Formats: sequence, structure tokens, C-alpha cells
Amino acid sequence: MRILRIGLLLGIRQIQRASIWTNVLIVFVMALTFLNLIAVSGILVGLIVGAERAVREDSLGDIIISAKAGDDHISETERIVREINAFPELQTYSVRYTGAGILEANYKQRRDLTGERDIANVKVTGIDPMSEDVMTGLPDALIAGEYLDPDEEGYILVGALYIKEYAAQFQDIFETVENVAPGDTVRLTVNNISKEFIIKGILKSKVDEVSLNTYIPEREFRRLFNRIDRNADQIVVRLNEPGANTEVKAALVASGLGTVAKIQTYEEGVPKFLTDIKNTFNVLGTFIGSIGIVVASITIFIIIFINALARRRFIGILKGIGIDRKAIEIAYVIQAGVYAFVGSMIGVIITYVVLIPYFDANPINFPFSDGILVAEPVGTLVRFLILFLITLLAGYIPAWLIARGNTLNAILGRK
Amino acid sequence: MENKNPIITATGITKSFGSGDLFTTILKSIDVTIMQGEFVAIMGKSGAGKSTLMYQLSVLDEPTSGTLTIGGESIESKNENERTSFRLETLGYVFQDYALVPDLNAEENVMIPLVMRGMNWSQARSVAQQAIAAVGLPTKYKNLPSELSGGEQQRIAVARAVAGKPKILFADEPTANLDSFSSRQVIDLISSLNRNFGQTIVMVTHEREYALGCNRIIHMEDGRIIREEILKPL
Repeated sequence: MRILRIGLLLGIRQIQRASIWTNVLIVFVMALTFLNLIAVSGILVGLIVGAERAVREDSLGDIIISAKAGDDHISETERIVREINAFPELQTYSVRYTGAGILEANYKQRRDLTGERDIANVKVTGIDPMSEDVMTGLPDALIAGEYLDPDEEGYILVGALYIKEYAAQFQDIFETVENVAPGDTVRLTVNNISKEFIIKGILKSKVDEVSLNTYIPEREFRRLFNRIDRNADQIVVRLNEPGANTEVKAALVASGLGTVAKIQTYEEGVPKFLTDIKNTFNVLGTFIGSIGIVVASITIFIIIFINALARRRFIGILKGIGIDRKAIEIAYVIQAGVYAFVGSMIGVIITYVVLIPYFDANPINFPFSDGILVAEPVGTLVRFLILFLITLLAGYIPAWLIARGNTLNAILGRK
Repeated sequence: MENKNPIITATGITKSFGSGDLFTTILKSIDVTIMQGEFVAIMGKSGAGKSTLMYQLSVLDEPTSGTLTIGGESIESKNENERTSFRLETLGYVFQDYALVPDLNAEENVMIPLVMRGMNWSQARSVAQQAIAAVGLPTKYKNLPSELSGGEQQRIAVARAVAGKPKILFADEPTANLDSFSSRQVIDLISSLNRNFGQTIVMVTHEREYALGCNRIIHMEDGRIIREEILKPL
């Protein structure tokens, strides 16, 4: 205990008496190292989390109800809707009907009937425009035209990636039609039944589920797809408390709905590849950030080594008058620890007070997601502990090297 | 009678450095005994081996051969940690150039060996302040070494050396870097410790003037004791 107290006194006094600029520089290096450790993996993970968040907000919600394995559609859709309406946790929901069709454009201008048609195989979703607006804010994704009016018929919303002009960056990955704009007439063919629609709006989102989709009112969908039983394909639910989705799902299953439909939380429903990429990016980010730790530990090592070397004579004198070597080593470890702690705390403040709110408000515009900075408190704590422990070691080794030297040689300045 | 017990007994102390053509023997089988309460000066020209002898006697260095007993304890069997602990508990040091820790103020410099000995913080502070006052610097507790003159720093070093009441005080040319006025003050201070408290003191000096207050002067030349001069018998 007395060794610790003396080490503490010596360490604190060394920091106090050191040049303010030296202290500022070291703390700055530590803060940057910490930020590097947090930010690199945080942005990589945030890229995926941003995509996940967009999928949750713009498409899937907190709970996803879909057809059971072996069923074509959700049986007893109306019963399910009734029951979910009774849940106090419910904020809103949207019932969706989905199918596939062929979208054809420019057929009226086509002169050569043997030539290639301007068609694309598309996903068709039947929605209640009002419910979908409340659920996902679909109108926000409009880049041209207007949203569906619940009282109108014969209108369609087309995802931008089905239109050549908007999907140019993806080359020929997607099937597209060209030269279409709001007001143009297109033909949707389902099972050899065709119906003309006027394009009401064009939707573009970083969520493919929106950009690679066409939307028509549910009444028209049911007629076109001959779905007279009103059994839907997907019901997406948003809760007042998104974090309560596991409990709500359990309650839905307990109420017997699990026997007629597949009920998943968002986390269960999110595509596995997103989770895999997130984990991979996390590891990658930590690896890249680790290089920063190595640089910081070398920096601390050099600083402490030079410091201890410059004070070698005083270290010798302290040992000479009977101060235990461990107290001297502790002094340098404390120095390194203080630098690591203060630097990391500054890094934490910058991360949580400045960077995260900033990137939440101004996401990084990646092609397929709005990237945010993700720094989970537990992960941050782990990284802080790693940085802290490595810094302590980087402070200890040079102090140990110097302090273990011959006492008299140190006092006399001999090699 | 008690004051006449030997406190340091060194026999056949030899210290050599280097190897081959560079092999040098600095101390050549020295026998020396220092009595409890004695004030001994070691004198000699540069290179005579006086400081080297003091480093052996003060357990700061290990002789190449020979035996050393201090206060009845054999030193050569002690490992590095035990030697450090022994120095803390038994010996006090005043070095040539003050050797205060520059980051600690005067009070803290004096306190740390006391805390290391197991004193609590407030007790150590109180003892340190008394020691600093006793060397005539009661207003300088909080001064950093850089805020003290050379003479004041050396007096703080003396306070640090004696605050823990060591059995033996070693002083290695304590006036080497001081002006004559400060040198006189430091020598008077060290002498008073012997005179008033019976402190055993071993001092290396090359100034005969400062050795005149001693009981005995050991004269060295070429690694050997060539003469012992009794000034004041114990």
C-alpha cells in the first residue's frame, strides 16, 4: 500500500510538473487513438446499421407477419389484423399483398411488333396507401410525381430501379423500362391478364424493397391477382416501443396466431447477410483500429522511456535512499494510465456528444445506406479497457527497464 | 561505553572494474572499522578511491571481495531488494549535488522515505516539517528544488537523510557544489548532528578545513588507506 501511495505521488507530480504542451500532446494522441478505435469500426458497422435502420423504418417495421411455410398467403389475415389492433403497444401497421408481374412501357409507340418489347419483370405490392404512409412514410421516397390517392384507381407507383434512367449506375443488373415519367401509361401483366396504369410517382430509396417495387392500391391488386380471399402476404407492424417487439411477438404467438402465420421480430426477419456483414465489418474495424493501439502504445513507450531515461539519475537516487523499485515503476504506470484515461474520456465525450449526434443528423451518404456512427457502450468499454491495459503495459516496460538498472550507475550517470 | 561499539566493520574490501587490459583495482583490500557515534572523514586526492570506498560502506555498491558488517548485520548475503530495504531502514545519504527529486517539493522530498518506512501521510509530513525546520528552512516546505539555492537544496537533502533517524549518515562531498558560505552552513549542520545527537557520520571530502570537526580522518591514496588521523578521540 505504501509503495502504491509513493508511486501515486511520484506519478501525479511528474504529470503536474511536465510541460503543459507535452501533456496536451500525449492526451491528444491518446484521444485520437481512441477515436480511431471507435470510429473506424463504428462507421463500418454504422454503414450496415444505417441500412438495417432504413429497412426497419421504410419497410419492415418492428414485427413482420408472413405466410407460414407451406402456405401461399397469410391465413386468417382479418383475424390477425383484429388481434394486433387490440395490442396497446401497437402504433400502426400495414397489410401488404405481393406478387410478380410484367411491366411494359412505350408499347403505344411501338411500330415493329416483332421487335423487342420494353418490359421488365417486377414485384407488385398491393397496399392501403394511407396505412402504408403512416407505417413507412412511403411518400417520402417519391422523387417524381405524387403519391397514390386512396380514392383513385388506375395509378401505379414505380420503383426507380425499374426505370433505366435511374438505374444507370447499376448497368444491366436490374430489368428496366425506359423513358417513362409520371403521367405515362404502362401496362402490368399478371397471368396473361393485362391492365393499364398511369404512373403516379417514381420512388427511390436506399431500401431496395422500395426502389425495386411497384405499388398499386390493394383493391386493384386483389382484382388483378384474383385474390378474393383477402389473405395478405405480409403484415408489418410498428410498435410504440420498438424494443418491446420480442415481448409483443411472444404475446402474439401465445394468442394462437403462431399457428396461422409466421411471426418474426425485425431482428429475426432481417436478412442474415446484413448481420454477417455487420459482424465482419466490426472485426475488420477493430483490426484496423488495433493498428492505432499499436501506434499509441509505441508512442507511450517512447515518451515514458525518454522520460525515465532523462530521470535515470533521480530513479537511482530514489532507489539509493531506499525507495522500492516497484514504487518507481508504479509512478510511470500511473502516468501512462492517466494519459490513457484522460485521452479516452475525451474520446468518449467527442464520440457520444459530438460524432454520434452529428452523424445521426447528417448520415454519410453511401450508395446503399445512410451510414451512421455506431458505438455500443459495451463495445466502447471493451475498447477502452484494451487501450488502457495496453497503455499501462507500454508505460510499465520502459520504467521497468530503467528502474532495474544498477543503482550506483544510475546515480553517477554511468552506463 | 555504548558509543564505542563498532557499527561498520569492513574487511578486505576490494573493488575492481573491467577485464583484460582494462582491468583496474580501485580499492585494494581495505580494512576499516567505524564506531557508533563517530564522525569520520575520508580524504584523498582525486582517484584515490575515497568515494568508491564510501559506496561500498554505504551499501550502494557491492565490493568485488571482502566482507562488510553494519550494525551487526552481514551485508554480502543480502539481495538487491534486501539491500534497498536495509538502506531505507538504516542509512541516510547526502549526495554531492543535492539529489532532490525535481518534481517533489521540499516537504515531499523529505517525506517519501518516511512513508516508505511505513509512516502515515500526516505523521510523515509532520516529521518532514520538523526536519526542514531543524535545518533552518521552516518557510520552504512547499518550494520545489528549482526554487531553492544550492545551499538550501543541500540542507533539504540533509533533512531528508536524517528525518528517519538513520544509524549512519553518509555524505559524499556534500560541499562540492556550494559556495564557501553555504558549505560552512552545511558542514556546521552535519557536525551538529554528530555533536548534539551522536549521529554516526561518514563523510567524503577533499577540503581539510571541513574535516577538522571530525573524530578521525582516513587518508587514502591509490586505493589504500595510507594513514588515519585521530582529531578527537571518542
